[in-house]
Amino acid sequence: MRKYTTSSGKVIIKPFNKIWIVLAVLIVLLVIFDQFIYSYQITLSEIGVILKKMFTPDTNDTWGDYFSYIFTLKDPLVLTLQMSFAGSLIGSVLAVPVAFMASSNIMKSKWIYVPVRTLLNLIRTIPAMVLVLIGVYFVGTGVLSGIIGLSLFSFGIMAKMLFEAIETVDMNPYEALESTGANKIQAFKYAVVPQIMPTYVSYLIYIFELNIRASAILGFVGVEGIGKSISDNIPANYDHVGAAVMLLFVLILTIQMLSTHLRGRLQ
Amino acid sequence: MSKLENVLKKEPRRWIMNLVFAIAMILALIYSFSGSSINILRLQTVGIQFKLMLRGFSEINWNFLIGTGLYDFDEGIIYLALQTLSIAFTGTLIGSVLAIPFAFLSSKKIVGKFSKIGITLITFIRVFPEIILVLILVKGFGMTPLACVITIGLHSIGMLGKMFSEVIDNMDDGPIEALDAVGANTWQKIRYGIFPQIIPDLSSIALYRLDINVRSASILGIVGTTAGGFGAILSLAALFVDWRTLAAVLVVIVVLVLTVDAISSYLRRKLV
Repeated sequence: MRKYTTSSGKVIIKPFNKIWIVLAVLIVLLVIFDQFIYSYQITLSEIGVILKKMFTPDTNDTWGDYFSYIFTLKDPLVLTLQMSFAGSLIGSVLAVPVAFMASSNIMKSKWIYVPVRTLLNLIRTIPAMVLVLIGVYFVGTGVLSGIIGLSLFSFGIMAKMLFEAIETVDMNPYEALESTGANKIQAFKYAVVPQIMPTYVSYLIYIFELNIRASAILGFVGVEGIGKSISDNIPANYDHVGAAVMLLFVLILTIQMLSTHLRGRLQ
Repeated sequence: MSKLENVLKKEPRRWIMNLVFAIAMILALIYSFSGSSINILRLQTVGIQFKLMLRGFSEINWNFLIGTGLYDFDEGIIYLALQTLSIAFTGTLIGSVLAIPFAFLSSKKIVGKFSKIGITLITFIRVFPEIILVLILVKGFGMTPLACVITIGLHSIGMLGKMFSEVIDNMDDGPIEALDAVGANTWQKIRYGIFPQIIPDLSSIALYRLDINVRSASILGIVGTTAGGFGAILSLAALFVDWRTLAAVLVVIVVLVLTVDAISSYLRRKLV
């Protein structure tokens, strides 16, 4: 049925649908990639067992014990909030001058913004956990390593999002200021900053959320905080893991809701 | 007093609020550092550590990186990179397929005010940390890359479902009405009215998610020694300072992510 003849005698040929090529490529890739994914012995019932271990009290404990453990997590929680906050703030502040240099509408010269963007792309490829691990190598497993790693992580994301925001601003006020003799920085301050400020604040909240989310994994490289309460209790006390997970989940959910609300109001 | 000065005086005193805000931020920042112990001894070792880092990067063990010489190919870091890519690709594919029903469930256009249920479900999936999900799933699927694949697949539903449902909500009703008018049945309406409209957008979103998933697949394996990706090697490197391994892993991660980024953004440009 590739050829149709209409009543007026016109012949219509149905074009070949490219989706088949795409599907064939996907299947070939899947077969190749399948070589790297091995597995043995799938026991799905174990998932139920572990969930029960995590989200119900231990056999000798009561629900009271289970929830009272959450209150002992106050200190790690504070540490996590500290490093997420400091990381977001430091990274985002450092990102401003770099975003300024990376935006093509302000730096007219390719020789400046292309290298800066390449550097930003390089930083963004590194997962937050690896950046924190570098921090751990330098200053040990305290909060400071988390702050260093998360600052770098926040810096990469913020600089990228910010220069993209700067490139979409209305350039007329900027040009008007430049024509009155203002230099680049003055023009940026009075013409671009007021335009991007709401976006910047909303990105800042978003990055804080990302950092809190990243903190769950940081325990695995030994960094203090809520992530360590999770990784330290494996495999002995899964009920404590569950309690910490619940706390983290509620925390992220709250921040997510707050951030959606605030971002809606800012933009 | 000139007119201009009068106008200037009427300007709201924003600087007071700004100052209060800035001071609050700085105080919070200082408080954030209170948990970390900064001492002279530590600052002195930073310089040494920096030298060690540079040495680590200049003495990368290329045999270990590529998997030649003393090492088998499946012991090298390139193998881990390919494994990471496999996990991310398969996971994204699974996630994209699973996200479609969720997207329809949370689309206002399809289910009306019941969309709240779907949206809440998707938000919960998105918020649940991946690393916890993989911790739970390794119990069922074993300490294997398969557990990571399933984790990535399930976690991707969160973002993909949300973005897919936005695509469906922004769909043009025209073609569907036209098909209705010529007497098409439901399947024909989906095939010729909905698919051609949403498939390019859906693929573009899935490719974007592939970028993200390559980054997360590279570290998910940290939950166990045989779970795939760079996780196992990184957790070993976390036990003691091992710049050479970290440098090799970093080089490979950077190359891998940049390559996938380039391919995916090229394909996305062709799609849109």
